[in-house]
Amino acid sequence: MIEIKNLQKAFSLTKSNKLSDTEKQDVRYSNKQFLSVRNVSFHCGPGEVLGLLGPNGAGKTTTLRMLSTALKPDDGSVLINGVDVLKEPVKARKQIGFLSADTGLYGKLTAYENIAYFGRLHGMKEAALKQRIDELFTMLNMHDFANRRADNMSTGMKQKTAIARAVVHSPKVVILDEPTTGLDIMTVQTVLDFIKGLKAAGTPVIFSTHHLDEVASLCDRVVVIDKGISAFSGSLAEFSALSADGDLRDAFLAVLQQQPTEQGAV
Amino acid sequence: MWQVYLKELTELMRDRKTLIFVILLPIFIFPVIFGIMGLVLSSTTAKAMQEQHKYVIVNGEQAPEFAEALFYHKNFKKVETDLKDPAELIAAIRAGDFAVAVVIPDDFKDKQHAVEQSQWQLIYNQSSQLDFMSRYFNELLENYTGQLQRQSLSALGVDPVKLTAILKPVSVEKVDTAAKRENLGEKFGALIAYILIPLCLLGASYPAIDMGAGEKERGTLETLLICPVSRSAIVLGKFLTVLSTGLAGALITVASFGIWGAVIGSFAGFAVVQEAMGAISAPELLMIFLMIVPTSAIFASLLLAISIYAKTFKEAQNYMSPLTILMFVPLAAAMMPGVELTTKTALIPVMNVALAIKELIKGTADGGMIALIFGATVALAAALIAFCVHWFQQEKVLFR
Repeated sequence: MIEIKNLQKAFSLTKSNKLSDTEKQDVRYSNKQFLSVRNVSFHCGPGEVLGLLGPNGAGKTTTLRMLSTALKPDDGSVLINGVDVLKEPVKARKQIGFLSADTGLYGKLTAYENIAYFGRLHGMKEAALKQRIDELFTMLNMHDFANRRADNMSTGMKQKTAIARAVVHSPKVVILDEPTTGLDIMTVQTVLDFIKGLKAAGTPVIFSTHHLDEVASLCDRVVVIDKGISAFSGSLAEFSALSADGDLRDAFLAVLQQQPTEQGAV
Repeated sequence: MWQVYLKELTELMRDRKTLIFVILLPIFIFPVIFGIMGLVLSSTTAKAMQEQHKYVIVNGEQAPEFAEALFYHKNFKKVETDLKDPAELIAAIRAGDFAVAVVIPDDFKDKQHAVEQSQWQLIYNQSSQLDFMSRYFNELLENYTGQLQRQSLSALGVDPVKLTAILKPVSVEKVDTAAKRENLGEKFGALIAYILIPLCLLGASYPAIDMGAGEKERGTLETLLICPVSRSAIVLGKFLTVLSTGLAGALITVASFGIWGAVIGSFAGFAVVQEAMGAISAPELLMIFLMIVPTSAIFASLLLAISIYAKTFKEAQNYMSPLTILMFVPLAAAMMPGVELTTKTALIPVMNVALAIKELIKGTADGGMIALIFGATVALAAALIAFCVHWFQQEKVLFR
């Protein structure tokens, strides 16, 4: 169970960063700061998959980073299974599995070592760690390249390793930032199957994406973020009902269009 | 913390670039560089010593003994000329017709008989660093003037037995109180610090960049940050790795220096060097090492702070080059003649350690001063590590 209320985050601007004309039109810019996320609220129950949609630069990554405790929000609250992420970040981190969008691996380490390193940082015991990694390798079909160094892996292999690393400590909540971007069709399928597996195990999954077909096939809930505000938050059925013929693309565009007139809508 | 440390070390050990910087460079490249430098220097010196200088002599008949001595000296070769005017001679030297002109006044013999001083001119290009020519010339001239003095004094009726005492009333014999080691330490101690301290920085800089900016560039930093490990532990783990490589680099260098020094020393028979190095006891070596540890810690935390701030590998490298240059300022200051270890210099970072190493090698180190330097360096290192930890908590630094 994840609950997010009125999340807000501003980045201060340095003087050297001159704003372009398009940036000046963005309501989130002021002279001193860039209010990346203004007001984001949503929740996700056990076993639910939540799809986070929104244009580039809307604040999706910042929201997910706050969820994962990498960034501290200026305002608002994040509750994960009743643990306040802001007050007890270390306790919350143990429950979160996070895969960032531009995630990387340690090139000199093998797939196994990359995953084991993070398992150990999460305080896992060696025997349990070994068993868990073996389990993940089977699940993600990774045994072939378990001992290959990350430098010599293909993009798909890297992404699989990154996903395995994100969930090595059996997190209670999984957050994936654009997990399928730039992957081939087979690897995307592996990732989606993996998300389904998590869902079946009752683990809530939040992932951001630009692919509406993934949303249609996987998600129970949809949140659209635009200009730092959660413009839509509801079930998939509610989302598709926004357009006349149930087309998700139209629904998405409808949310973006109504947004400027209804600022602060939740 | 140890998890981070172990992992960073494994990663570094598998990296060829680190191995080259930390291990191969000090082992092989430095002796080679110094060998070549020594070879070039000694061969140019030998060449300069053996060089033949073309000269002209004006009014040579006024001082025939001198002209003859000059003519038969193996490093001088006479060139005939009709030029007499100094300005013309200068022009001819600039044109490269000959290298030296000796101008003897045409009334030299008369003045000699009247026991009056006369002035000669020696015209040559004085810009050369290895000026052996004027040394040879002065030797000849000294011999010649000695002869003249004896002649003049004998002519004046001075007892020839007493001539030596009259010409040189006082003869000084220098007795050196400094041990051989102190002498060598003064000469080479600062040089050793000059090599050792930059190596700590050099050995540490590549891993430091890799662990901060490199991690940002690869996109692994974010994942690391959300692990349930405190950021201090992450920073300290990384810091220890940087420190270890810096120290390893310095230690390997010292060892390679010692070994190569012994090898070269045994060939060339530099018994003095061997003796002096043998006199440096184990506790003193340990103290040198103890001085290097906090210095390396200062570098490690500075480098790590820069590296964490930088967005990319390149950016980090750009920030580090001025640091390298800055570090040479106190080192060069410590090498300057006359700079001694005082309470004031003991508080200038880097310079104090360089001076302390010099004192330790000389064997004249003062315990209290060494303790003060050690304390000051440790305090600075601790402050910088604390800054590094604080720096690593800043969102504006991590997510620039």
